[in-house]
Amino acid sequence: MLGLSALAGAVLFAWSGVYNVAASRGHWWVTDVVLRFAMESSVRTHAPDVEPPELNDPDLVLLGAGHYYSGCAYCHGAPGDPIDPVASQMLPSPPDLSERSAQWTDTQLFWLVKHGLKYAGMPAWPAQDRDDEVWALVAFLRTLPDLDEAGYRRLVHGPERTEAPPGAAVLAAGSPDDVQSCVRCHGDADAPRSALVPRIQGQPVEVLSRALRDYASGRRHSGVMQQMAADLKSPEIDALAAYYASLPRIAADHAPDAEANFEAGRALAEQGLRSADLPSCLSCHGNDGLPIFPRLLGQNARYMEEQLRAWKRGGKGTSDADRLMGNIAQRLSDEQIRDVSAWLAAQPVDGVR
Amino acid sequence: MTAAASELDRDLPNPLPRPEGELEQLQAIWASPKGWRIFSDVNNTVIGLFYIGTAFLFFLMAGVLGLLIRLQLAVPSNTFLDQNTYNQVFTMHGTVMMFLFAVPVVEALGVLLLPQMLAARDLPFPRLSAYAFWAYFVGGMVFFTTLFFDLAPQGGWFMYPPLTNERYSPGIAADFWLLGIGFIEISAIAGAIEIVVGVLRTRAPGMSLTRMPIFAWTMLIFAGMIIFAFPAVILATMMLELERAFGWPFFNPDLGGDALLWQHLFWFFGHPEVYIIFLPAAGMISMIVPAMAGVPLVGYRLIVVALIATGFFSFGLWVHHMFTTGIPVRSLGFFSAASMAVSVPSGIQVFAWIATIAAGRMKMTAASLFVFGFLVIFTLGGLTGVMVAMVPFDWQVHDTYFVVAHFHYVLVGGMVFPMFAAFYYWMPAISERPLSERLGKWAFWLIFLGFNTTFFPMHLTGLIGMPRRVYTYPEGLGWELPNMISTLGAFGIAAGVGLVVVDLIRNFRPASSGGPGNVWNAGTLEWLPNDTYATRSVPRVVSREPLWDQPGLSEDVEAGRYYLPGSATGMRETIVTSPIDGEPQYLMRLPGPGWSPVFAAVFTAAFFLLLTVKLVTIAMICGVLAIVSVLVWMWGSDPAPTEPADIGGGVVLPTYATGPLSHSWWAMIVLMLVAGALFFSYLFGYLYLWTVSPQNWPRLDALPPLQTALTAAALLLVSGSAIPISAALLKARRCWPSLVVATLGVATYVAAITVDGWSQWASGLRPDGSGYAALVFMSSVLQAEIAIPCVLMVGFLLVRLAAGRFDATRRVMFDNLALLWGYGIAQALFGMLLTHGFPRLVG
Amino acid sequence: MRARWRGPFLLLPLLLAGCSTIQSALHPVGPEASRILDLTWVLFALAAFVTIIVLSALALALFGPDRARRRIADGRTIVALGIVFPVVTLTALLGYGLWVMRENTSPSPAQPGLQVEVIGEQWWWRVHYRLPDGTIVASANEVRIPTGREVEFALRSADVIHSFWVPSLAGKLDMIPGRTNHLRFSADRPGVYRGQCAEYCGGAHALMAFEVVAMAPEDFDAWLAALPATLPPPAEPEATRGGELFVAAGCGGCHAVRGTAADGTTGPDLSRVGERRTIAAATLPNTPDNLARFIAEPSHIKPGVLMPPFTVLSADERRAISLYLAGLR
Repeated sequence: MLGLSALAGAVLFAWSGVYNVAASRGHWWVTDVVLRFAMESSVRTHAPDVEPPELNDPDLVLLGAGHYYSGCAYCHGAPGDPIDPVASQMLPSPPDLSERSAQWTDTQLFWLVKHGLKYAGMPAWPAQDRDDEVWALVAFLRTLPDLDEAGYRRLVHGPERTEAPPGAAVLAAGSPDDVQSCVRCHGDADAPRSALVPRIQGQPVEVLSRALRDYASGRRHSGVMQQMAADLKSPEIDALAAYYASLPRIAADHAPDAEANFEAGRALAEQGLRSADLPSCLSCHGNDGLPIFPRLLGQNARYMEEQLRAWKRGGKGTSDADRLMGNIAQRLSDEQIRDVSAWLAAQPVDGVR
Repeated sequence: MTAAASELDRDLPNPLPRPEGELEQLQAIWASPKGWRIFSDVNNTVIGLFYIGTAFLFFLMAGVLGLLIRLQLAVPSNTFLDQNTYNQVFTMHGTVMMFLFAVPVVEALGVLLLPQMLAARDLPFPRLSAYAFWAYFVGGMVFFTTLFFDLAPQGGWFMYPPLTNERYSPGIAADFWLLGIGFIEISAIAGAIEIVVGVLRTRAPGMSLTRMPIFAWTMLIFAGMIIFAFPAVILATMMLELERAFGWPFFNPDLGGDALLWQHLFWFFGHPEVYIIFLPAAGMISMIVPAMAGVPLVGYRLIVVALIATGFFSFGLWVHHMFTTGIPVRSLGFFSAASMAVSVPSGIQVFAWIATIAAGRMKMTAASLFVFGFLVIFTLGGLTGVMVAMVPFDWQVHDTYFVVAHFHYVLVGGMVFPMFAAFYYWMPAISERPLSERLGKWAFWLIFLGFNTTFFPMHLTGLIGMPRRVYTYPEGLGWELPNMISTLGAFGIAAGVGLVVVDLIRNFRPASSGGPGNVWNAGTLEWLPNDTYATRSVPRVVSREPLWDQPGLSEDVEAGRYYLPGSATGMRETIVTSPIDGEPQYLMRLPGPGWSPVFAAVFTAAFFLLLTVKLVTIAMICGVLAIVSVLVWMWGSDPAPTEPADIGGGVVLPTYATGPLSHSWWAMIVLMLVAGALFFSYLFGYLYLWTVSPQNWPRLDALPPLQTALTAAALLLVSGSAIPISAALLKARRCWPSLVVATLGVATYVAAITVDGWSQWASGLRPDGSGYAALVFMSSVLQAEIAIPCVLMVGFLLVRLAAGRFDATRRVMFDNLALLWGYGIAQALFGMLLTHGFPRLVG
Repeated sequence: MRARWRGPFLLLPLLLAGCSTIQSALHPVGPEASRILDLTWVLFALAAFVTIIVLSALALALFGPDRARRRIADGRTIVALGIVFPVVTLTALLGYGLWVMRENTSPSPAQPGLQVEVIGEQWWWRVHYRLPDGTIVASANEVRIPTGREVEFALRSADVIHSFWVPSLAGKLDMIPGRTNHLRFSADRPGVYRGQCAEYCGGAHALMAFEVVAMAPEDFDAWLAALPATLPPPAEPEATRGGELFVAAGCGGCHAVRGTAADGTTGPDLSRVGERRTIAAATLPNTPDNLARFIAEPSHIKPGVLMPPFTVLSADERRAISLYLAGLR
């Protein structure tokens, strides 16, 4: 009875419109305390019980930094780049993360970034099956409190460059910003700074344009790339793909994984493994394969590992390419992923086949 | 009759009138709890009904799965079910029908009917029945619901590896099968122990083995077969789960295992399983036919011999499920001959039933119709059984729809028709109203015609090439018409079963007291006036059909003129009789309602199921709670001796017994037989893998040193010598010293098997290394499985002694420990002889 | 009683009329299957006879004259019908069965015969012919044999248990990982006989079939002799392009076409795929359209198949590859 009348009262209150939803008015302090308490408890309860990856990993931090710059800094600010005045008028106003992230554990932060917050305007990660990317952002957030403006710019843009990026001239139809956004992470004349970012220089045009279109349509999943590709128009995609395809390939130069078995990796890449129903990688991904297949000789090992693991988890998307490779990646063991990525990365770009 | 008259010439009948309040006291003691507390009841009349109801529910649900199968196969290239769903559906249809319906329902009928038939007040271990039921109920329900979460296994009901190993069946669906079924098998064994002791020790006075109703004989053989057959599949499921979870390669040929080992173990269980299901059904037929014909069963002795022979033969036929595996032709010939031979005992029974029908005048009741249906369908199934026992013919029809037709004729004919006959026949004994004869006859004709329409064409479907377990088939192979006919027939069966359900809903009202009574004028004791306490007084019987041969028995029993007309000790009780002659030996006091068996079962089920979904912590908590529940349950058992009790008729019985006289001793012996059968299956597996890949057996220098093995053996002998010492101390009424010796002895036993397992590990052997290594450590697993209960028991005894619940007279629990402990030492010594001696012998 | 029985029995000829003979144990084309069919009829006759005895005994017991009923109720009748009769007939039957078993398993002394190895895989058949000179030539999902000569099959499995069964030619024999089983049979007449996996092997077990093509011995010898050879390049430009695409698109990572760069062994050998009547382990007729469909979405045709979908290729590209494959004959 009591419950029913309370319910009726609540309905009446909502229907009357007495409650003011204006963001300008802020919350009553009690509401604020209660909401904050509920949110913090919820994050504590839901944070997953998993072991975070090594968050000091510079490759991870660099990848996270690139995305923070384009995706997060507008609301949350960054060293030398305060929170946008419009964003700061949201209710609740987005916190400055260089101060506030310290209160969360790694896994709580991961959960927040991945799932976002209801009633707070914090969006969830667009690619829910790409935990690897979320961890990159968490790694960057852990670095953020210690950064000054110069350090932040170095992480995002690399060493200071004064001249315009060389690709700008190539892009007659599009905006130079697009190239700049790419260069920030992928480089152009230089290789990408993070080993988790693919070396797209010299890849076939079809591979690059197909990837961007798949990101744009959401058929290929990535919280980072979907955002970048969604803004591109078709001619821009073609021009960007043509530009990167025209650049010379740059072979990976990272130190190989000490535990990798190169012989096993070579055998798998060159011959496949019948007992595990695995075709050879190079039957498609060598330099003679159809131009719809990425060339993998000299590609970053860690990038390939992350991609293969994402497919194996069943993530990465539903594009034609993802369905093709996802099928094969299911059958790779963790060791095989490590071995074959290490071997492929160590090859010269004009190597066998 | 003269012999019978002289047997009756005792102090019976008791003088009338019986004392005031005697009946009321009996009723009060045996009253079932009211309301939802009914779930804590342990009485066989209540548990039996729960049990049958649950099993029948599984029958209906698995039947619906059968209909889904038929719908999918009605037309070629059908898309009603996809491949993945179909594979789950047929796997669950088979698994549920075999494990959750067929075995439980006959076990349930035994629980419900046996005490009444033997004029016992209850089964000897009522709480064990409750435990077996609740474990089955919870485990079965959860297992079935996996189907709704796309988590049901899809390896077929016999789950052949390597298809069911981690590589080809990733995920947890196969684990649900292995843990769920392994657990339900344990529940079946618990029931079997109950039935063996019940049949052998709680018969009515005067009911010698030769006067025992055939149904009791079949249940005895049924339980005996469970005891020897189920351990094989329990071992197999343990091995496959170890292979899936930890990579112990029992069935992996790349590492010295063998896929056929599973098939041997599975069918060593699986073939007897068919007879485990059929024999009790045959027993029901042997009860119904004489009652309906109005004459005693013709060829009683021949039938008993035939039943025992079937039990024995059925353990020698398992290879006939493996005729196409490429086993050498010579052994195929042997198993072919054995498979044909087993049809002879069935033939004897068929002609004995027909002879009984000829000897009397059959009443044309619904039950009789189901009996006729059984005779026709089972005969046809038996004949196709002879056909598939012919090896070359089997090469063609094995794993085709011919075999599907064959085993449905055998199982539905041999078990489902008798079950419906039993429903219509025994309902007046347990329900206020009998079922409707009119609906029953309609149901019979629908089921009978529907069955033959469904399954008869399948013989042909198989011969024209259709394999079983295919989710679809192409057009143009001639399979369209027979499949469509089969599908139509299946709905006939469904309609008939539906009618039975309607009939049950309309007329089945559980009656605590009687019901319409002996409407068929049958001759056996379950037709005496009945209540939750069974009969008012326990009759002395002088023949196989006491109600026919002892006029006025019903009235005398009801009036209390026979044994135990009330409660002699103020507790629930039943008379324990000698196993052969059925002479009263002592008065067993029985426990009343309680929650501990329910909790024990629920937590055991939760333990297994949570392990499957990898919630290890909660699973462990449930495991501990299960053990705690069992200890609470055991705390109240073994009541202290009282003064001898007068059960009337001039018979005064002790209320306590120890040693071979005790029903508890018998149960422990049966449990040891189960453990022995498990170890025997292991021995078979060890020797079998050796014959397949002897190259994996270690060289002599790779074995653990002989000294360590001899040390462990010496420890075992020391521990063994502690048993008589401890027993002697107890006999001398020195309880504490006795238990201290027992504690040290069990500790030595545990130390010995630990040393042995460790020495294998220290020699560099790892269980995931080879089939050989996995078997060596499997031996340790089997030793631990005996040692852990011994540790729990000795600890429990110490606490009971401290609490004054154990002394030199009240010592049944000590006797049980001594038996299990002694068995454990023997098994450990034998195991070490195998793991240390055999490689040295062949190395 | 009898009225009930008429139904099912009347259906029998009706059902038989609708039968196709390509995968039927009732239509044998070789001595092994014929011997088993003879045994089958004997068994059916005996079963029918026993059924009549039991049904008549039951009918007499229910409705017969008293004299007959007394006779049936006699213990001696039980012994005669339940023990003596079965023991005698079953012993005779066992002897006959053992004879058939021996005849079907012992090798015929006449000729060396053809040796074929068949390996069951989820859910197709790898076929290896052993040529007279000892070389092994691969094929898949179809076995060609000469008529009138005994063929010896070595049966193995690459993953789970399968069972090799061609009802028109012989009984089945399982393919068990870690073991090799041997099966011998011969075909009397040229023709196409269908076989199917008879042991449930998971997933698409229902779609794991194959065909045995029995050829006149001289045709077979010519065919086998030409089997190892490299086929001439296709004449049509589209098929030529298909051949190039086949290699460049990575098909050769799993499939082999003798004489080309495609040398994968994970999937079925496609060297003579154009000659086969069916594709996808006797699931679809072998037409360029079906080939192209299979290339695009293999799992729509055979759920759970290992081959990934090749929708990255354009429809024209898939068409070109299918024309190339159809021309491999």
